Amino acid sequence: MVRKLNLHRAVCTLQLLWLLLLCACGGRSGEQAPQDEWSGTIAISGAFALYPMMTRWQEEFTKLHPHVSFDLSAGGAGKGMADTLAGAVDIGMVSREVTPEEEAKGAFWVPVVKDAVFPMMNADNPVRQDILARGVRREKFIGIYLTGEIRTWGQVVDREDNTAEIHVYTRSDAAGAPEVWAKYLGKKQENLLGVGVSGDPGLLEAVIKDPLGIGYNNLGYAFDNNTGLPVTGAMLIPIDQNGNGVADEDELIDTKAKAVELVASGKYPSPPARPLNLVTRGKPTGLVRAFIEWILTEGQQYVGEAGYVQLPPDQLEQALQKLR
Amino acid sequence: MRVETSLSSARASLQRRRVLDNLAKSLSRLLTLLPLTLFLVMLVVLAFRALPILRSATLGELLGRRVWLPSQGRFGFLPFILSTLWVTAAGVVLAAPPCVLTAIYLVEYARPGFRNAIKPLLDILAAIPSVVYGVWGVVAIVPIVQMLGRQSNQWWGFIPLFRSSNPTGYSILAGAIVLAVMIAPFIVSVAYEVLESVPGGSREASLAVGATQWQTVRHAVLPQARAGIFAGVVLGASRALGETMAVLMVVGNVPQIPRSLFDAAYPLPALIANNYGEMLSIPLYDAALMMAALILLLMVLAFNVLSTLILRHAIRRNEL
Repeated sequence: MVRKLNLHRAVCTLQLLWLLLLCACGGRSGEQAPQDEWSGTIAISGAFALYPMMTRWQEEFTKLHPHVSFDLSAGGAGKGMADTLAGAVDIGMVSREVTPEEEAKGAFWVPVVKDAVFPMMNADNPVRQDILARGVRREKFIGIYLTGEIRTWGQVVDREDNTAEIHVYTRSDAAGAPEVWAKYLGKKQENLLGVGVSGDPGLLEAVIKDPLGIGYNNLGYAFDNNTGLPVTGAMLIPIDQNGNGVADEDELIDTKAKAVELVASGKYPSPPARPLNLVTRGKPTGLVRAFIEWILTEGQQYVGEAGYVQLPPDQLEQALQKLR
Repeated sequence: MRVETSLSSARASLQRRRVLDNLAKSLSRLLTLLPLTLFLVMLVVLAFRALPILRSATLGELLGRRVWLPSQGRFGFLPFILSTLWVTAAGVVLAAPPCVLTAIYLVEYARPGFRNAIKPLLDILAAIPSVVYGVWGVVAIVPIVQMLGRQSNQWWGFIPLFRSSNPTGYSILAGAIVLAVMIAPFIVSVAYEVLESVPGGSREASLAVGATQWQTVRHAVLPQARAGIFAGVVLGASRALGETMAVLMVVGNVPQIPRSLFDAAYPLPALIANNYGEMLSIPLYDAALMMAALILLLMVLAFNVLSTLILRHAIRRNEL
């Protein structure tokens, strides 16, 4: 009797599991619905850099269209791209440029927000005053990160008396930020010198702990969101863009507000500023298109509070044109 | 009439029990063979996915080259293979002696109460997620190694193994220390079981002729436990070979041939974990990562086969 009961229970459990499996597999991707009442699921995966922004958009969009649900995961820009091209998700978040190879495979992309990478140093850097006064030219960064010719902080500010060694840190994980930083210097991530640390927070931590350290961080990590100032213990290195040997008003970045303004107006160079993209396989239709259109119009109002930079109006318009 | 019914029902019951018995046997056999099949499938799939890169260069070139520039199509795995060996070896060397001594203390010297308090604690160490070890490594171990590197340069700078040209602290030594702590519970646990299984008679005989406790351990207990303790160290080492996250966070990830404990290194698991999400845009990168996984798998396999052979040999010689 007891055994029979157990068998019965086992069969029931199996059936239940099977049912669950069926439910989990069903219901992908929204089909065309009456224009006003969207319903369905949008599956999204990709860059960590866009993940917090996308969470916010998802929240607001479901408020407007309660029948739409999201399946959102982060796993790196390349994963987002691979998933999208394989048809595993509807939208891929990609924090770098879309390569020609990927476009040839059918990747369609629109930029949705801007982000930027900033060179960082420790707040107790031995030549901090000189750096803040004079800025650092691109050639110096190349000497530090690509050729390794510049080895001391003295060389960075042309003061040979200071022989404190530069401790170069870079990202170990393949990602949008190191790629765009390398692109600014004219190479690829694999060419960047330095000790590899995993992730944006890891790199920041390494620079904060090491007075002689140099690194680079995304906008969202370089600043403390509560105070709007650079994260305690770290400072942004001003990039001397015009090479006049002085960190001008538009080159010295000390608050997040100023960084956002400079990136938005294009005064901060691009790269290391960059648009973050959404990718679909072929031109999107139906719900997915409606969602991306909404991001490019109404969705833009949430960009600032989520800590990102809005695209300039003409680029937004361009993106909308591309979508239609 | 009655007898017939009960006979036929007994036959039916026997039939049913036989079927069930056969079913249980074949099912358990199938499940036993499953891991082996899984391993072979993994090997084949990895080899298949790695084919493109094996076509682009000879195996000798891939394994022997030291330059890693995927976008230029230059894939040299030597730095990664050597880094894996360096970090694992350093971790095991750091972990093994203290772990064996701990096990000896727990079995031979400690009072039962103390032993029962410490054992579960060691098991907890084994259950801590590796990311937590990684964070602890970054916060606590890396700065210590950074300081150590500076000192070591002054004192032992003339020995290549201890010369530090990497001032950051993210290094083989940092990775090895984190690894050593991570594999310690496994080594202690196995060594403990092995020492405990040594029959009490040998201890009593040794103590009876006036040997001290340490002499007893040294000459009566350890010789019988040697093979088992070796197996424990091997278990720890094979875990260390594949450990990814915690090592990745502290080891520096520079694809170079390591020359000193203070150099940064780039083990194979870290290579895969760092790049797996981003591999799409560069041709052959995918195949290269599969190749890295294949090399790692074969290294672990070779290591295990080798140690099993050594173990068997040791057991035969000791006639354990």
